[in-house]
Amino acid sequence: MKVEVDDVTVAFESRGRRVVALERISLQVPAGEFLCLVGPSGSGKSTLLRVVAGLLRQTSGTVRIDAERPGTPATAMVFQEHALLPWRTVLANVAFGLENRGVGRAEREARAREMLALVGLSRFARHYPHQLSGGMKQRVGIARALANDPEVLLMDEPFAALDAQTRTIMQEEVLRIWATLGKTVIYVTHSLEEALLLGDRVVLMTARPGRVSQVFPVDLGRPRGLEVRASQAYGVLLEKIWAQLRDEVVRAMGEDREGAHP
Amino acid sequence: MLVLGWEAAVAAGLLREAFFPRPSTVLVHARRLIADGTLLGHAGPTLVRIAWAFSLAAGLGVTVGLAMGLWRRLREGLDPVFAVVYPIPSILFLPLVSFVVPRGEAALVLTTAVTSFFLIAFTTTEGVRQIDPLVVEAARHYGARGRRLFTAVLLPGALPYIFTGLRLGLGYALIVVVAVEIVNASRGLGALLWLSWQVLKVEDMYATFFVIAALGAVLSYGLAALRTHLLPWAQDVADR
Repeated sequence: MKVEVDDVTVAFESRGRRVVALERISLQVPAGEFLCLVGPSGSGKSTLLRVVAGLLRQTSGTVRIDAERPGTPATAMVFQEHALLPWRTVLANVAFGLENRGVGRAEREARAREMLALVGLSRFARHYPHQLSGGMKQRVGIARALANDPEVLLMDEPFAALDAQTRTIMQEEVLRIWATLGKTVIYVTHSLEEALLLGDRVVLMTARPGRVSQVFPVDLGRPRGLEVRASQAYGVLLEKIWAQLRDEVVRAMGEDREGAHP
Repeated sequence: MLVLGWEAAVAAGLLREAFFPRPSTVLVHARRLIADGTLLGHAGPTLVRIAWAFSLAAGLGVTVGLAMGLWRRLREGLDPVFAVVYPIPSILFLPLVSFVVPRGEAALVLTTAVTSFFLIAFTTTEGVRQIDPLVVEAARHYGARGRRLFTAVLLPGALPYIFTGLRLGLGYALIVVVAVEIVNASRGLGALLWLSWQVLKVEDMYATFFVIAALGAVLSYGLAALRTHLLPWAQDVADR
């Protein structure tokens, strides 16, 4: 297993109350898999991703990532709001992780240029983030993550802020890159359609506390493109997951209402 | 436009020439003051004082501001002190400073530096605080820690604010140095201004006045140009 999440709980104090964001989550991700986490807001899918990334410490449980190669990071994250450094050029942003690890200038820039070519941004190496469109910024975010050659690529709703057309193009880009590099990917989204287009498996999470509700294998074949949406199997699976998700969402909304008027 | 209007108003007798000499007359006097070296002799000490005071205020202000931005404890400790000291009119520090350091240049420079220091420290603190936490988190995730986090993320992130602080601080240094020179110096543009006024050399007073204004503009625009040159990444809402 590339990633093993074993019995992970994340709890914190908020205004004197104990809030459980994740409750006893266990997941196994085999090498090369594209795993999608979906669930209503508050289901802790981003929290889980942050725990895997090491950005957040779990209260209990363990996360193990199988790292074969020394010197490369276990994970690299593509952030929802791109989170590029505004004062660095595109090239310097992509090379940032390598620079921090002490990789020499020539080597890290060559590597960064390679990744920029992969995401189709070679011409924008000397631009600053504010000169790019939302979709281009997110491409830089992907190139930055890939430049570190991580064991596992983590993506936290990377295209949620993009317009529908750009999002569709970016989804196909991600599929192409994944097919090229064969990375293990954990991808958080609130869009079932996106999860079915991209994922090998879809993990549906519940809200408050965040738990794994059900895991759905996505047997829609590969390579997969947008045309998959026209297939019958796609419709059946979408309906199946949606039925389960609807219950979760309704339950979460009900709890919100109770929370608002105690 | 303003100058032309003024010229016309005096010519038409709307303004009394004794108090409001024509700009053209002022120009003639300014030429004479420059030619006989008076203006330069007074501008020199003022510029030296500003240079010292501004360097002092910038060095200390940026350092203290960064520290306050990075350490909440320090900020919470110093905030009340700053809140009390900052609004005191700068000129009042002159007697205070004179108790500590010998009267003379050091006292003038220190007094000039006080308000600039506060402005620069304030804006630098805010500069650190307004950095997007998500950007910092991402930078950490990609291996920027300790010193590296400071030099590659926190310092550049705060720079636009620091530049604003420097510009304000430099402007204030000029304001205060002139005030201090009026009160307590025999040389300097402030002293020249006051002297001209006391002996009713109104034209000379105005000439000095304009030189001070021009100096302020040069310093301010100089820093602004430096900012544009050094921070090409800082986006401008007005450019959108």
